[in-house]
Amino acid sequence: MPEMHIQSVFTDEGRDQTPAEIRERLRGGYPPGATRRMTTLGLMVGSTLSRLEPGVEDAIVYATGYAESCALEGFLDSFPTPSPTLFQTSIHPSGVQQLLIGRQRAVRELLPLSGGPLLGFHALRAAFLSRSARVLLCGGEERGTWLLDYGLASDRTFAFAAALTRESGGAPAGRATLTRAEGAGELGLAEWFDLLHGRRGFDGMVAPGWRLELEWHASPT
Amino acid sequence: MADTAAPVRVTDCGCATPFGDAAATHAALLRGERALVPARVLGKEGGDPVPLALIPGRTLDEDAPPGWLPTVRRLAASMPEGDWGSPRRPVFVTGSNFGVGGLYALRRSGDLAFAAWGAPPTCTERLREDLGWGPDVSILSHACVSAHLGLLEASRAVESGLAEEALVLSFDFLSPFVAGGFHALKILNADFPAPYRERPSGAIGLGDGAAFAVLSRGRGEWVLEGQSLFNEMHHFTSNQPDASGFTECLGPVAAAARGRRIWFKGHGTGTLEAGRMEVRAAAQAFPGSPLVGWKGSLGHTLGSCGLVELAIAIESVKAGRTPGTIGDEAPAMGDNVAFSGFANGEFDGVVCASNAFGGAHAAFLLTHA
Repeated sequence: MPEMHIQSVFTDEGRDQTPAEIRERLRGGYPPGATRRMTTLGLMVGSTLSRLEPGVEDAIVYATGYAESCALEGFLDSFPTPSPTLFQTSIHPSGVQQLLIGRQRAVRELLPLSGGPLLGFHALRAAFLSRSARVLLCGGEERGTWLLDYGLASDRTFAFAAALTRESGGAPAGRATLTRAEGAGELGLAEWFDLLHGRRGFDGMVAPGWRLELEWHASPT
Repeated sequence: MADTAAPVRVTDCGCATPFGDAAATHAALLRGERALVPARVLGKEGGDPVPLALIPGRTLDEDAPPGWLPTVRRLAASMPEGDWGSPRRPVFVTGSNFGVGGLYALRRSGDLAFAAWGAPPTCTERLREDLGWGPDVSILSHACVSAHLGLLEASRAVESGLAEEALVLSFDFLSPFVAGGFHALKILNADFPAPYRERPSGAIGLGDGAAFAVLSRGRGEWVLEGQSLFNEMHHFTSNQPDASGFTECLGPVAAAARGRRIWFKGHGTGTLEAGRMEVRAAAQAFPGSPLVGWKGSLGHTLGSCGLVELAIAIESVKAGRTPGTIGDEAPAMGDNVAFSGFANGEFDGVVCASNAFGGAHAAFLLTHA
């Protein structure tokens, strides 16, 4: 498969911040009142993705294993009088739609993925297979509460957005190459986020039969 | 971007609905039968009666392991054998519900047995183990266009040479979670759906459904062309008033279908505004093409509807007869709406279209090789 150039990358990690603290930190990037119904994941993905200025002909690959865990928890807790707002907010891919609908930004191709130990690889593969000139690969997770007790939510809160192109352009921040290779490995979403967040190079197996080379140039965006 | 150049074919395809497999479902639709029946929206916890179509023997309330698992196993048994989930034969699982009925049951009962199938990653991993697949199983979930995305990704994997074959499996089974959610949005109510019919208020029905397709390059009887997507991002639950999202999506499909006579399998859930827009957009993009929708019988099979209805479309072409729009009667939203079944031998192909929350649209052209 051809290589792709990472033109820009933005990441955000919640670490020990509460959802309220994250909302307060990010609210300035949204119109007044817009964040009231946004999820933590929606806020964080939106904040990173918006910096890439999505356009209608960009393809967006959106990856999240557990999506809007807190909205899902709230919806489940709202029975027997289920909340319509929490229902629509909990539906995949609400996280990325919250930004795009808020800004009325149509996009032709949106590929929302979920997954487990190979989600990072599957998201990369979807980006590599897209025919759009620019692919915005974004995603993240929000830390769950009671769903986390059952292993049904993420234990971390993070988000990322990267602009990938086939042409190298002016000054790309890095380059990713997926090739066939013997061996096995895994690249989950959190592991992919850590590579982006730390601008860490990588050369290894990311799925059975697939190897990723990730290198960063001297002055990443 | 439409994948108009991809010479991808469907080598095998099948579905499971409350009527049975694709052939049984097609036959029932031709007879005008309706799988939807009134059922309590919250299952054993009661609530208003709403039109639901469940696989026989299954209840709306989830079991552990899930009550839908035998249906998926039967469907899987009808798939061609192969090392699915290997690097050369990846699997694309799609849907909008996965094990969400288990989450509802987990929260209501506290029974840990429901947790094993709860979230999309865990549900798909359990299913992968159960069906003996390898690890290359990816998940696409985009509400009611999910299956179209699986077909698109599988097509790209095959077309690029990355995969020799690709399997798309989609399944959505109802639960109080999803029935309660649509009921809260007030589009699932006591009325039965009447897609494409002008009437004072709209209504949808929901149905169980699962389907698969095997995609290959250069083999198989059925060609997928002009796969097209568009996402309006206008509103979570409504479309741009000018129906531009429908038009944008259908444009590349119409280009792929130019010069050919087609019939149109629409989304047609039974909502009014979206129905009118779809009827108008289909008539503009495909003048003279009859439009049908089958959710008045099967209910909306949600993220899986695109693949379930593809299997029925293939069965229709094989049988030479297309079922009409079930649940309908005049007045229609447009002259292109076909209430009755019709012989399809004079047509060159069928356009299959689906829509979803967020103003998401997906469509493709299916032709016989």
